[in-house]
Amino acid sequence: MRLPDFQLHKPANLAQASSLLQNLEEGEFDWLGGGTDLLCNYKWRIQNRDHVISTRGIAELLDSQPGSLAAGRTLWEIEQDPVLAERYPALVAAVSRIATPVIRRSATLGGNLLLDTRCWHLNQTVEWRRAHGSCLKAEAEICRVMPDPGDVCVATYSGDLAPVLLVYGAEVELARPEADGSWQSRKISLAEFYQEDGIRRFRDKGAREILLRVHLPQEASAWTVNYQKLRLREAFDFPEGGVAAGVRWQAGRAAEIRLATTAYASIPELHPELCQGFAGGTLEESDRQALGEALMAKVRPMKNTAMSPAYRKKMAAVLCRRALLACVEAAPQP
Amino acid sequence: MSRKSTLGQRLPLVDSWEKVTGRGLFIEDFRFQGMLYARTVRSAEVHAMVEEVNLDRAKQVPGFVDALVPGDAGTDVHFGVLPISEDETPLSAPRALYQGDIVAMVACEDEVAAREAALQVDVRYRPMDPVLRPKDALKETDDPLHERTVAGTNIHKKVDQEFGDPDGAFEAADFEAGGEFLFHGVNHGFTEPIGCVAVPEPNGRMSLYSATQVPHYVHRALAKVLELPMHMIRVYKPLVGGGFGGKSDPFPHEMAAALLARKTGRPVKVIFDRDEVFLNNHGRHPTQYKLKVAADREGRLLGLDAHSLIDGGAWASFGVVTTYYNGVLCQGPYRLPAFRYSGRRVYTNKPPCGAMRGHGAVNARFALETSLDVLAERLQVDPFDLREMNALPPNTTTLNHLRITSNGFVECLQRSREASGWDQKFRKMPFGRGIGLGCGFYISGSALPIHRTRTPQSTVHLKIDVDGGITIHSMAADIGQGSDTVLAQMVAETLGVSLDRCRVLAKDTDTAPLDLGSYSSRVTYMAGNAALRAAEQILDKFQKACARLTGLPAQGFQPTGEESYRYVNDPSVTVSYDDALREALADNGALIAKGIYRAPKLGGAFKGSGAGLSPTYSYQAFVAEVEVDPETGFIRVEHVWAAADVGRALNRVAVEGQIEGSVHMGLGQALSEEMKFAGGQLINGSFLDYKIPSPLETPEIDVLVVESIDPEGPLGAKECGEGALAPIIPAVANAVYDAIGVRLNEVPMTPERVLKALQDKKKAEAKAARQGGQKV
Repeated sequence: MRLPDFQLHKPANLAQASSLLQNLEEGEFDWLGGGTDLLCNYKWRIQNRDHVISTRGIAELLDSQPGSLAAGRTLWEIEQDPVLAERYPALVAAVSRIATPVIRRSATLGGNLLLDTRCWHLNQTVEWRRAHGSCLKAEAEICRVMPDPGDVCVATYSGDLAPVLLVYGAEVELARPEADGSWQSRKISLAEFYQEDGIRRFRDKGAREILLRVHLPQEASAWTVNYQKLRLREAFDFPEGGVAAGVRWQAGRAAEIRLATTAYASIPELHPELCQGFAGGTLEESDRQALGEALMAKVRPMKNTAMSPAYRKKMAAVLCRRALLACVEAAPQP
Repeated sequence: MSRKSTLGQRLPLVDSWEKVTGRGLFIEDFRFQGMLYARTVRSAEVHAMVEEVNLDRAKQVPGFVDALVPGDAGTDVHFGVLPISEDETPLSAPRALYQGDIVAMVACEDEVAAREAALQVDVRYRPMDPVLRPKDALKETDDPLHERTVAGTNIHKKVDQEFGDPDGAFEAADFEAGGEFLFHGVNHGFTEPIGCVAVPEPNGRMSLYSATQVPHYVHRALAKVLELPMHMIRVYKPLVGGGFGGKSDPFPHEMAAALLARKTGRPVKVIFDRDEVFLNNHGRHPTQYKLKVAADREGRLLGLDAHSLIDGGAWASFGVVTTYYNGVLCQGPYRLPAFRYSGRRVYTNKPPCGAMRGHGAVNARFALETSLDVLAERLQVDPFDLREMNALPPNTTTLNHLRITSNGFVECLQRSREASGWDQKFRKMPFGRGIGLGCGFYISGSALPIHRTRTPQSTVHLKIDVDGGITIHSMAADIGQGSDTVLAQMVAETLGVSLDRCRVLAKDTDTAPLDLGSYSSRVTYMAGNAALRAAEQILDKFQKACARLTGLPAQGFQPTGEESYRYVNDPSVTVSYDDALREALADNGALIAKGIYRAPKLGGAFKGSGAGLSPTYSYQAFVAEVEVDPETGFIRVEHVWAAADVGRALNRVAVEGQIEGSVHMGLGQALSEEMKFAGGQLINGSFLDYKIPSPLETPEIDVLVVESIDPEGPLGAKECGEGALAPIIPAVANAVYDAIGVRLNEVPMTPERVLKALQDKKKAEAKAARQGGQKV
């Protein structure tokens, strides 16, 4: 299978990228990180663009600063980083469970956070979509998963790192080109970054805006975090459900608890309201059970991935309990 | 055994170097001057009349050259792998029988243009009601999907067989076990996509280069479709990147490419995308299976009663054979005094099914082996003991006239029982951990050829000239399984020369003698025997040459295995290979020999008696140890002990590779692989969505090679690459029962199905408890 024609641009820095962008309209181009997702979509003619701007050579995207991770770092580099493994073991563990080692050699942190939403009705060949009638996110005007009313895309967000970074309390740093060619950056909380819409996936990220870095707060490494992933195969597969749990332990008690999910909606989500009643406790089995049940009751998976929504929903409770148990077992001794 | 013998060694395959260095040529690598790139236009409808194929927009695509459309010469000619059910056509008009059926084929100057042009072909359909459920296909209809069906239904093939007195057996039985089973369809998942290049030759001939397991059947089908005598057609098989039965039919795209090449006068290349491979399918049939087995109180099997409803999809393919195999291959490796089988294969509007590794035996084997596990429990005997007690002995005949010769089944049982630590583990491990047994047997080539001719099933030619190299000509298709290496070994062992003297040319119907191809696990046995017989003729020439050189009797010279021939009564007399060859060539020229193999006449005189007949059979006893997560339903297969009677392991690494590969492929069907449909449309036609187990799901596999040394097998060998798939699936199911106490009758045993079975069990137990009854 061949890629369709497009023009590939490889800027070496943001200044060059800015020049490029001056000649391109929104909707005319895509950013390309590792390409492990985007190019597959292109082969299937999903929202192809005429111009593709590779971020791989942009120096600023490879520049990790203290307390931050450059968005252009490959998952493989993160996986091999002993400092990250020491400070954010759950992040490194989650990275090591993404796709396959070969894919992780190319795929980037930024690409995983910005991963496009997926759906049975979308991630198919163009011939398949034509035969089936296509979908809202591709060429049609109705969502095949939720045809009534059918005007909102419910494709599933399947990134593995977002829930973990949500629990760590991460912020993302975005940069936007100005008219004079300079770049203006801003930081926003990862929790505020996404919006629940399978097509318009971000609250206010412009098409020209680029994800520069992920910032982790100073206290993030003090959190005990665990990520549980549901999928049929231990390699290759996107999550069918993912739950990250985090606990900030204080004198043997869970001073703060965070839960975040992926692959249960079009958005990775933090669930602070579920955790409120359990802060200050010791997360006994009954607590974990209750949190699991509450999470299961809340998530609303769609019928658009390999496993059934009923099973994925049921598994939310199991993943939650297991993630919390891992946090309990890894709790620092008071 | 000579010092340099290759037998039983761990040999790299003879084509390893060209493959690992990337120099080997697969179909994608072939380019010809003026070659056009073709792309199929596939039906968007599940079932429809194709009313019009309009090329107007496609012709506007730069690079468009021509297209094959319904109505073009040859597009409606019927062909198929089995002469008794030729129901495929190069293009699907006037009726498209499934979503993905080939409606037209465009040819352009480059691949990108071909893709675009195919998208611009406008097809007008008149949709028709599809037949999707096998049970609906059993009904009478005014408009069956094919001209020839059973009594106005969509039944393609109906088989009813009965041996002994099954009703009497079940009446007399002390114990019964069985159930209803559901198997979803699976695809071969080979690495190399299907493809071909059709090249019209200046002299009016047609050459077809194709990734195929069956050059001979492609040759025949092309002759029919092109209306050319066979000598005007050449089929060339490049290296093939896996087949597993998925390249063992002549296919519509091969015919269409040849027709388009003839129409344009230019070479035409077509390579499928992965989704097209899934749509082409010809994989294992989705099957509903019902089986019961009877035994007396001592555990002796008294009878078997089996029924299958097989979803064949749109075409016949090997379906007649499939229908028989689902029954007859239950007649081993156990003695069965009574047997009844009814099978129905139906046409539906889905991608066609056909032969896949373990063809016809896999689903039925699951039903039988899991039922035997139930029976053993009811009898309160160990599953190993039950099987050993009922094992077919060597040198016997089954009820349906299968001739049993070499048989290492009991040794397989003993080896896997001991190696797995069965007696310390079975029913003794904690909840969630289990161990299970599954057994099997399989044909080593079908004794009955598809085309009933007196032509041998395999012929091998040898040529040796002054360079001392031995050229082996065969049309046996090496598809990665190592058959070229087997042929080289046969010759090298017989002549006592090193393997590197042998070069195998098994690619080209213009130069190679007929062989029926790679399917039904026939190549080692049949082509191997043919090679052996050809080599024996060369040996005879060498012996006579030695006699002329020494003045001693020819029969006294035997190969030393070190490229020389020694006189047995006086070991000081040896003649080197080079001297013997020089003498043999003198006044004679290149040595030529031909070996043939034709299966012995076997079987009884009843309808369908040819099905399942084989010159010999392989046997297996596999143990799987599993861990089941009762909260999620995930099964983790931790360890497999795979004991297999392969006759003789000619090349140990190839044998182990075949068995490990079979286990891996069987685990896919057991745990995760399943072709899923929505309204007749395949929804998981990619390697991301079709869940072949990754290396992380692959357990430790201990291959336990059992060598029964088959009396008619080439140097004692028999098949090892197909039979080994079937036993692992019931072994896992039986292990799951040992682990968590639930029986799974639907395959694959996905986490969701396991969890549901567990929940059903809990509910039943709760209900029984409420009613004050026994635990279920």
